[in-house]
Amino acid sequence: MSTQYYDIIIIGGGIVGSTIARELSRYDVRVAVLDKAAELPSGASRANSGMVHAGYDDKPGTVKAHFCPKGNEMYRNLYEELDFTLNKVGSYVCALAENEIPHLNLLLEQGRKNGVPSLEIISGDELRSREPNASKDIIAALWAPTGCIINNFEAVLAFMDNAQQNGVELFLETEVSDVLLSQDKRQVVGVNTNKGLFLSPIVINAAGVHSDEIAKKVGDESFVIHPRRGDYFITDKYVGNLVKSFFFPCPSEAGKGITVAPTADHNLLMGPTSIFQLDRDKTATTRDGLEQVIEGARRLIPSIPMNMAITTFAGLRADPDTGDFVINILKRPHGFVNVAGIKSPGFTSAPAIAQHIVERMKDELKDLVDFKPDKNFVPERKHIPRFAYLSMEERSALAKKDPRYAQIVCRCESVTEGQVVEAIRRGAKTVAAVKIWTRAGAGRCQGGFCGPRVIEILSRELNIPMEEVTRHGGHSRMLVGKTKEYWFREGM
Amino acid sequence: MSDIIVDVAVIGAGPAGIAAGVGAKEAGAEKVAIFERDWDLGGILQQCIHPGFGLHAFGEELTGPEYVHRWISKAREAGVEFWTNSMVFHMEENGSFWIMNPSLGIKKVVAKSLVLAMGCRERPLGALGIPGTRPAGIYTAGTAQRLVNMEGYMPGNRVVILGSGDVGLIMARRMIWEGAEVLGVYEIMPWPGGLRRNIAQCLDDYGIPFYLEETVIEVHGKDRLEGVTVAKVDKNRNPIVGTEKFLGCDTLLLAVGLIPENELSRMANVEINPVTQGPIVNELLQTTKPNIFAAGNVVIVYDLVDWVSMEGERAGRNAALFAAGKFKPGEKKIKVSGGDNVRLYSPQWLSGQSDATIYMRVTQPIEKSCKVVVEPGLYEKRLRYARPGEMNEAHVKLQDLQALGDVDEIVVDIKEV
Amino acid sequence: MSEERRIICTACPVGCFMIAKEENGHVVSISGNSCPRGEEYAKIEMTDPRRVFASTVRVEGGALPVCPVRSKEPVPKDKIFEITKAVAHVTVKAPVEIRQVIIKNVCDTGVDIVASRSLPTKQSVELVSQGG
Repeated sequence: MSTQYYDIIIIGGGIVGSTIARELSRYDVRVAVLDKAAELPSGASRANSGMVHAGYDDKPGTVKAHFCPKGNEMYRNLYEELDFTLNKVGSYVCALAENEIPHLNLLLEQGRKNGVPSLEIISGDELRSREPNASKDIIAALWAPTGCIINNFEAVLAFMDNAQQNGVELFLETEVSDVLLSQDKRQVVGVNTNKGLFLSPIVINAAGVHSDEIAKKVGDESFVIHPRRGDYFITDKYVGNLVKSFFFPCPSEAGKGITVAPTADHNLLMGPTSIFQLDRDKTATTRDGLEQVIEGARRLIPSIPMNMAITTFAGLRADPDTGDFVINILKRPHGFVNVAGIKSPGFTSAPAIAQHIVERMKDELKDLVDFKPDKNFVPERKHIPRFAYLSMEERSALAKKDPRYAQIVCRCESVTEGQVVEAIRRGAKTVAAVKIWTRAGAGRCQGGFCGPRVIEILSRELNIPMEEVTRHGGHSRMLVGKTKEYWFREGM
Repeated sequence: MSDIIVDVAVIGAGPAGIAAGVGAKEAGAEKVAIFERDWDLGGILQQCIHPGFGLHAFGEELTGPEYVHRWISKAREAGVEFWTNSMVFHMEENGSFWIMNPSLGIKKVVAKSLVLAMGCRERPLGALGIPGTRPAGIYTAGTAQRLVNMEGYMPGNRVVILGSGDVGLIMARRMIWEGAEVLGVYEIMPWPGGLRRNIAQCLDDYGIPFYLEETVIEVHGKDRLEGVTVAKVDKNRNPIVGTEKFLGCDTLLLAVGLIPENELSRMANVEINPVTQGPIVNELLQTTKPNIFAAGNVVIVYDLVDWVSMEGERAGRNAALFAAGKFKPGEKKIKVSGGDNVRLYSPQWLSGQSDATIYMRVTQPIEKSCKVVVEPGLYEKRLRYARPGEMNEAHVKLQDLQALGDVDEIVVDIKEV
Repeated sequence: MSEERRIICTACPVGCFMIAKEENGHVVSISGNSCPRGEEYAKIEMTDPRRVFASTVRVEGGALPVCPVRSKEPVPKDKIFEITKAVAHVTVKAPVEIRQVIIKNVCDTGVDIVASRSLPTKQSVELVSQGG
């Protein structure tokens, strides 16, 4: 296996890794992002609530409280530059009993201290006049107009796509087995992976739920990650308009509670649960978990029709035992950076954290790498055309330019062959990656119609046999062979 | 870029759509065009390569492709225009719609009347809320049928089938013939979802076990499916603790229900019945939008394609009359209601202009002598049994309806005698 | 020797539950059927059970890689797998015409395997989709 040389290696291509990658791509440094998954985002950045939090949840003075409102502000500017979907819909925290009112007051006060603008507590009746489907049991709500709903798939892809345009290299299905140190153990020299050695004087640990395992490899045992699972339901778009904004119950020890929200693509999202588990990779939902979700969601929005559910999923939060984000540059070994335990509001905070950590690296690690600004840095990028949301004129123009934009692949989400081909050109290699890039298969039939077509296009564009197309890399092959083959086997 | 102007436009070239085209031509419409998203005509029937179609329409048992071939020939002879590779992706409230076609680009179609014939789609796993992982190897039976019968690929080797809808039963046998192992068919309800003859010829013939009141309660496997946990269920369809069993398999096929495909109908603001999930229609198959008609599985999911074709033809005829300005709007509006043991039915109202056929399914099976009735006193027919998996029909004669005088509601039901 | 067998009729979608009685190798009574087709079916099912075989054959140069085929008439049930194997070994060239004989007298059953659809060549379909 080959050895490759870089200035900086980032382990993990979730929202943390991708925002740092993009931030680093402003400089003339060689950066590689390694992720063990076959498509981005995987892990917690893939399976979450898609919420850009306003920033009232965290105690003033904590690292979280510092980054969350900043990150919120950044997304509100970045979504145009990087072309990802962000809906500025605002959020409500709902009080269902008198004894929850003090909690709303506390959040209001925290938010104001954290610099969250325009917070307001409104009555239950006021809430219902804005949101007629809200439960009659809600007596008051904290309204945060700066809360946003984000397409978390698109956001991660956007940061990474832009980073790649600016020279960052991405290696998927590349799992770090070791972090390599100099003989005296004072300096990081790179990582070993299933795809060979990647040598670099700086290694950034953005490995999410596995970040403590990575830190351990350099002798850093200052934190432990406890995976905390969240189960979710997604419904058909037909009922995506039941609510206009993000609904939270009053938070508890376990987290922000079961929420109800319209997704960036107008489905209804319900969840998450908050269940500790030992396994760091198993994103299986459980019956209890799913029941909790339904019960919790109906407390806020009683009329949710569960026969409109189209899918369920689970994500694993990287919950650190420190209770706060773990952001530091180790003294020893020199060159090792932790950006770990970025649990909720992690997605929101990520761009602000990325900016912060790169500034610190420029100062504290300048002996290792010369952070010379890249004069050719291009901050803008465009997503693949979203056929479903274009005007007829735009659709017509696209189809005229490339007839593949007039060939439907996914009916439910109106995804054309042109989009699928473009996703593959930008690096999608699996059925899941095509879904993440284009939404093909994310609709009400869940890939029943487009599945065979997506397999066919992947096979054609990647020039691999149909049988080698996978759902999400590894052994997740979609097909096991051709018909008739059985009758050619020996003894048949 | 000029619009496409036709008299009657039909959306979908499956059995309902092709028959609608034939019906429209028979009724005298001049320019009748069927818009089909695939390169090929026939819709899902092209992948239903087993025999069992056409006993009513042609007096013999044909395979899906053979059945549809006959209708295509009929339609071509009648002068129906076919637009293939033409996906209708947007519809306006007035019934005008937009197609995409790789060689023509994006085009608007304006029609005097139209027939919705988009058929239905399958319920996915996610709709069932079954916990577990989401590995490769989980397919709806129809998707597997397409892969095997039209593309020549095997979705898996060791198969569990959840749900006993007809496509699932058919696929059980099909997979066996291609050398796969089928471990069993699991049906959560106390009765089968599909036709009894398919249980006989697809499961019994090959010794495939069929379990009623058992279901898959968990899916296992990270990359490819590794197995499922099945369990017996109680009366409320909750799993019974202690009856769980792990089955190692690489494939789970789902035959857990079909849902009429009404995205376009909703765009046109056609009113949808929440139970059938199809447009509310009258006996002339006219929706709540006067110029829009609908037929086949887009209205209510049928057992037999013969009925789909028959309804398609009827919708086409009426759409043609509408296009020609000869369609008399009904003076009356008689509501059709379902009795206690009728889960769903169509049409939901009668205009009082013609004889009517009402299709229905029972909620609970009746395994003894029973009768289908339309009250007050419009129809009665004895049945040897009534089962949710097997659709029933009732016929109402116009003259009987008229003889009733001022009636604004009739009730269909199936009850014991 | 008398025997009673329960048979679900597959002659039509009704699927009648029939009971056939056999004595010394002869069918003596059939009940439960609701039409004469059922009686006929039960008699054959007791003596010489048959099924229509339907599968696909591989196609070279077709718009699809496989073409559906069927046995023109029902074939003996116990020959199904033998026929499946025979059909699996056949590859035909596109275009295929509906009712075209794919295998004559398959496995000596006296029944032909025929194409159950017409399948054009790949090329002709591509031409059409390009605006032909």
